[in-house]
Amino acid sequence: MHIAEGFLPPLHAAAWTAVALPFVAVSAWRVNRLMRDQPQVKLLLAASGAFAFVISALKLPSATGSCSHATGTGLGAILFGPSVMALLGTIVLAFQALLLAHGGITTLGANVVSMAIVGPWVAYGLLRGARRLNAPLAASVFLATMLGDLATYAMTAGQLALAFPDPASGIAGSFVKFVGVFAPTQLPLAVIEGLLTVVIVNFLREYSGDELQILKFPSQTVAVEARS
Amino acid sequence: MNVRNGGLLVLAVVLVVGSVLIGSRHEGARFTGSDGQAMAAVAAIRPDYQPWFGLIWEPPPEIASGLFALQAALGAGVLGYYLGFKRGQARGRRNRADAGD
Repeated sequence: MHIAEGFLPPLHAAAWTAVALPFVAVSAWRVNRLMRDQPQVKLLLAASGAFAFVISALKLPSATGSCSHATGTGLGAILFGPSVMALLGTIVLAFQALLLAHGGITTLGANVVSMAIVGPWVAYGLLRGARRLNAPLAASVFLATMLGDLATYAMTAGQLALAFPDPASGIAGSFVKFVGVFAPTQLPLAVIEGLLTVVIVNFLREYSGDELQILKFPSQTVAVEARS
Repeated sequence: MNVRNGGLLVLAVVLVVGSVLIGSRHEGARFTGSDGQAMAAVAAIRPDYQPWFGLIWEPPPEIASGLFALQAALGAGVLGYYLGFKRGQARGRRNRADAGD
């Protein structure tokens, strides 16, 4: 989902940066407040950021014979709320843009919107919805983070389609074309992201009941914690 | 719990390995990045489009692989520290509870 440096026309690049800025600013404020008010969850926040860092560094092969990477931003979104992830995702994307020639400064805003804003919000919203329907937690986490990953790539396809409408079939036709590029490669990777997120959440529910309780995330170890 | 997590991890590995095996059978499969393919699609739609801004710095390939490894190592390091810390903490708590009985 990294739109390469210079690959969005100046107007689009500026517009997506303008969209991303308030989210990142609010996110910085939220992270700051979280660290001050609930310092107990600092380490878990760092671990969630680290998850996105490692997962988005791994270019994984897909059955289509091409490579892509997961986003890793769903985990932090379902634990801390989506607004916190905008800052963490921006840090990851800035690192990749500046040091790895992956993405770029002019396209940072657009990439932040897809990976650090849209993906996390979709994952968070889906988990909330699934919880309301009383779906099993593991299945909910899997679906939410898998679809959050796919939403990130759908957003990228949308951004590219807006900037490069197909001469014949317009924005819609172009969108279908870009989705066709990303979707077959991304689908198995989104499944892997969902699986890994469930693994982490299972661990947290067993060992991090105290932190999950602070974050009001359903945990199964609360009773054990209270006893000991 | 641990058995289930182990199963999920095995499933993830199977997906990766299976992807390589199936993907390798594609004609001319070189496991290029889908990001690059998308930029190629841009060039197909608008052949006249020229990126108007270049990379500020591009690491030489060997250094790039090192930086990618660094990114993964930093992430895995912090994540592993957290997981190990919480496990140790839980064990310590259990031991204390046992001693108190």
